[in-house]
Amino acid sequence: MSAALDLQHGGLEVARLGKVFPGRDKPVIAVEDVSFHVEPRQVCMLLGPSGCGKSTILRMIAGLEQPSSGGINLNGNPVVGPHRERGMVFQGYTSFPWLTVRQNVSYGLRINGDAYALREGTVDHYLERVGLSRFADAWPHQLSGGMRQRVALARALATTPQLLLMDEPFGALDAETRWQMQELLLNVIRKERMTVVMVTHDVEEALLLGDQIVFLSSHPGRVRTMLYPPFKGDDAICTREALRTHPDYAPMERQILAMMREEGGH
Amino acid sequence: MLQRVISPPPSEQPPATLAGVTTQARQAPPAIPVRQRWLEFKQPVSTPSKLLLGIAAWILFLLGWHLAATSGTEANPLFPSPADVSGSLWNLFAERGFHSDVLASLQRILLSFGLAVAVAVPTGVLMGAFPAVEAFFSPLVSAFRYLPAPAFIPLLLMWLGTGDTQKIALLVLGVIWFLITLVCDTVKQTPVDFIETSRTLGGSRRTILWTVVLPSSLPGIVDTCRQMLAVSWTYLVIAEIVAATDGIGAMMMRARRFVHVDDIMAGILIIGALGLLCDLAFRGLHWLMFPYLRRR
Ligand SMILES: Nc1ncnc2c1ncn2[C@@H]1O[C@H](COP(=O)(O)OP(=O)(O)OP(=O)(O)O)[C@@H](O)[C@H]1O
Ligand SMILES: [Mg+2]
Repeated sequence: MSAALDLQHGGLEVARLGKVFPGRDKPVIAVEDVSFHVEPRQVCMLLGPSGCGKSTILRMIAGLEQPSSGGINLNGNPVVGPHRERGMVFQGYTSFPWLTVRQNVSYGLRINGDAYALREGTVDHYLERVGLSRFADAWPHQLSGGMRQRVALARALATTPQLLLMDEPFGALDAETRWQMQELLLNVIRKERMTVVMVTHDVEEALLLGDQIVFLSSHPGRVRTMLYPPFKGDDAICTREALRTHPDYAPMERQILAMMREEGGH
Repeated sequence: MLQRVISPPPSEQPPATLAGVTTQARQAPPAIPVRQRWLEFKQPVSTPSKLLLGIAAWILFLLGWHLAATSGTEANPLFPSPADVSGSLWNLFAERGFHSDVLASLQRILLSFGLAVAVAVPTGVLMGAFPAVEAFFSPLVSAFRYLPAPAFIPLLLMWLGTGDTQKIALLVLGVIWFLITLVCDTVKQTPVDFIETSRTLGGSRRTILWTVVLPSSLPGIVDTCRQMLAVSWTYLVIAEIVAATDGIGAMMMRARRFVHVDDIMAGILIIGALGLLCDLAFRGLHWLMFPYLRRR
């Protein structure tokens, strides 16, 4: 379904990205010289201490923020502004309260006048993917936090973007719900064969979901290391328990936690 | 049945009940008695109680009024009783064609308020949505907001005469500046995340305005309209007292000339009732328009 991603220029190319905010007394360098590449259908996790510029990088990829330097390419096309080829799930609850769950999920298709997709049951397909078919006609305020994030996920997927961006989508959820959501997301990503860039500061989440981890250091935000967790290729690992018992898991987690501590110790 | 027949007379019952309670208490641990208190912070009141309390306030008010008006040895024409006022209300409608005054007033209110909303809502929405539009209009609107509308009456009388146009202009001037400011403030509350979500889904500026900004602030806008309509009634009376041949205010001024205090009070009563009806109508509209805000 996403043959376009297999073109020779496929994937996301982030090149020497920089962002300077005009601060109160002096400019704040939020991101400096960040480069990485995400192959099609790979999941890239942006991991790092708080304030290292993860959200800023993601917002620049989404086109919501203009880079001060460097550039971004998706499948060979430069990113200049927001576009539905790059869907986004925010940390806060963003389901529109005046629309039902189904109307929320179909929102992107409706504003783009995509009558074909609306007719062909795209909305029902994604409602089912995130397990909300039974709640299609509920209002968002009747749903739990995890369910609202699933609405946001289904809404972002319904316009079939080439790239899915997520900024700590489960950050506001309790631990138990977060695990469930991570497993659900893993399942959805596998089935929909998505290219994903996701921000997190949860090491376990990064190892469970990521094919690639971009570890950032702070002030200014730069790439410190790239890690390639070996767990995703193995189709058996799609639950937390399987991940935790994997022999490679514990050393890798220790290595990242040590880096986190170093960064936090500034 | 038999129990009740042989049970002791009411005066002897308390000890029996007390004994009953103690035996029960021995079987099960006693539930801590919940003392029902009338005044409790944030404690919701049931609908029947609410209704009852509201009616009680009215009864007390009418009773106090009645007692105050009838306390003197002879009836005071400057302070009629509730019965006098309701009698004159009946008389006004049945014999003196008061309904045409009421209709004239209602027409002025609806026309002027419709006009004010038609101008203020689009302006306020654009101001709230686009800071550049706000920067353009805001200094002007804020200045006019502090000019009391009745100060324009002499001007309006000279420009527009004593007809309906003058009254409608006054009513529009009275509410439009506040309406614009309040709508603008409501629209500004639209969460940035909503707007950005729509942008990442391919929403253009126009699409975002219609499918995010407007629906997100519409409940607040309708509420603002409800509150400003109440202000409209204030200016209506001012407009009709100044120079008018018909309308509720004009009737009250005529009654003043003949010291018909009961008629004046009847007019006040009708304005109150109509204001309340308008408020209820807006609440109903709000309920119908925004099913997602209905909480049990
Ligand atoms: N709009 C802005 N104006 C000025 N400074 C900003 C702005 N947005 C972010 N910053 C600064 O840029 C830096 C990076 O912020 P960013 O939100 O990207 O960090 P983050 O890694 O997402 O942090 P967290 O994990 O807490 O979400 C911070 O120092 C922040 O203060
Ligand atoms: Mg962030």
